[in-house]
Amino acid sequence: MSVIEKLSKLDRRYVFLAVAIAVSLPMFFPLGLPVEVTAPVKQLYDVIEELPERSVVLISIDYDPSGAPELQPATLAILRHCFKRNLRVLVLGMWAPGVPLGMKALDEVAVKEFNKKYGVDYVNFGYRPGGAIFLVNLGRDVHDVCRTDVYGTPVDELPMMRDVHSAKDIALVVTMSMGVPGSDQWIFYYQARYRGKLATAQTAIGAPRYYPYLQTGQLVGLIGGMKGAAEYERLVKTRGFASIGMDSQSAAHMLIIGLVVLGNFIFWMEKRKK
Amino acid sequence: MLMTSGPWVWVAALLTLAIYSFLYKDNPFYKVAEYIFVGISAGYWAIFLWWNYAYPNLFEPLGKGKYMNIIPVVLGLMMFTQLFRRTAWLVRFPLTFVLGVSLGLQIVAAVEGDMVPQLRGTFSPFTPGALFGTYDFWTSVGYIALLVGVLTTLIYFFFSKEHKGILGVGARIGIYFLMIAFGASFGYTVMARISLLFGRLHFLFVDWMHVIK
Repeated sequence: MSVIEKLSKLDRRYVFLAVAIAVSLPMFFPLGLPVEVTAPVKQLYDVIEELPERSVVLISIDYDPSGAPELQPATLAILRHCFKRNLRVLVLGMWAPGVPLGMKALDEVAVKEFNKKYGVDYVNFGYRPGGAIFLVNLGRDVHDVCRTDVYGTPVDELPMMRDVHSAKDIALVVTMSMGVPGSDQWIFYYQARYRGKLATAQTAIGAPRYYPYLQTGQLVGLIGGMKGAAEYERLVKTRGFASIGMDSQSAAHMLIIGLVVLGNFIFWMEKRKK
Repeated sequence: MLMTSGPWVWVAALLTLAIYSFLYKDNPFYKVAEYIFVGISAGYWAIFLWWNYAYPNLFEPLGKGKYMNIIPVVLGLMMFTQLFRRTAWLVRFPLTFVLGVSLGLQIVAAVEGDMVPQLRGTFSPFTPGALFGTYDFWTSVGYIALLVGVLTTLIYFFFSKEHKGILGVGARIGIYFLMIAFGASFGYTVMARISLLFGRLHFLFVDWMHVIK
């Protein structure tokens, strides 16, 4: 059996093993590859940078643990940026399993890193059901659809919410989205109606779909997958989970490119033989 | 190795390994992990639906004397009338309601949020003087590529006339734009999958085994 024949019949489990090794090795021996910041990520950074102090940024945790490796680092980086700029943050989510992830992120950044005060500097409304209908009503009257926070405190007892009533009081919305409900609903039912500034962090699979909305100005920024999160980490000068992951990403991508080339070469050779 | 993690980290790590063991071949460990996942998901969503939908929207208001909330329940139950031939016609009432609300929401959203802004975004750079005047060279080239891409892709999906002559050339160019789009999507999909694998391996090496700081 020739080398070409052997390779064409290679057990695919060797490919799985090779990918696992390619992802694991850089975790033990970091390559330190540079992360270039792309325009869609920089745009979001600039928008947050230009917001007046104490403006309200709404972060919607629209993902669950399966999207956490890509979206949690972006959530942490954006929270860091917001608190560094002394902005107020309103967290909610349209995905119930995302609530603990939002709470974890707030605890890590707002409480431990910035010592921010709950109810004054940030609030968390937890899971908000209703999807599109919730968003239509949120822009009209925040207090009506968020009557209590995640801990059961009435919205009127939260000092931060005294001057936050509708979409016009929210300077920027960032949806951390991995599906439905998520970015689509925010664009169609919130941004289209209330014309507020909206940005999104997407899992890599979903990211290409949202570039057209960036071009039209419906989105003011776009963070795509772990790479986008790594870029934002670089902008806020932290080396977090996403930045660490980029070496593994690059190694795995090189391997996959090699496998694609090899697969095509084998296909071409076999075709030539026939 | 300093495996001093808490019990739940151990549970998560062992379940992760059990799921990944499927890559070698189907086995009892994978089956157990799969069944646990399905069982927990079913339980989770049952509780979730009760506390987020049924209780706050129906049982709690009914307890406070808000009897109007019974109307959606009746409409919901009417969905089951289609199971019987004699009562099947009753399903039209809840369906009419659902269709009405969905259309009302989605027509506005599709026009205001998608169609009009996208059309504007595609054609607005071509206002007199804008191209190569307002924008730099490469941005202008990008806008031209965008317009050509939109038009030729639309031509490719125009099936009322045979793709011959100018229509054939347009459709052929449209295929190339589609292929580039599929390639970009595939590239991003690979990146997403590798991110998930990295997330799990990071958990195993850092949170479970503590072999990386």
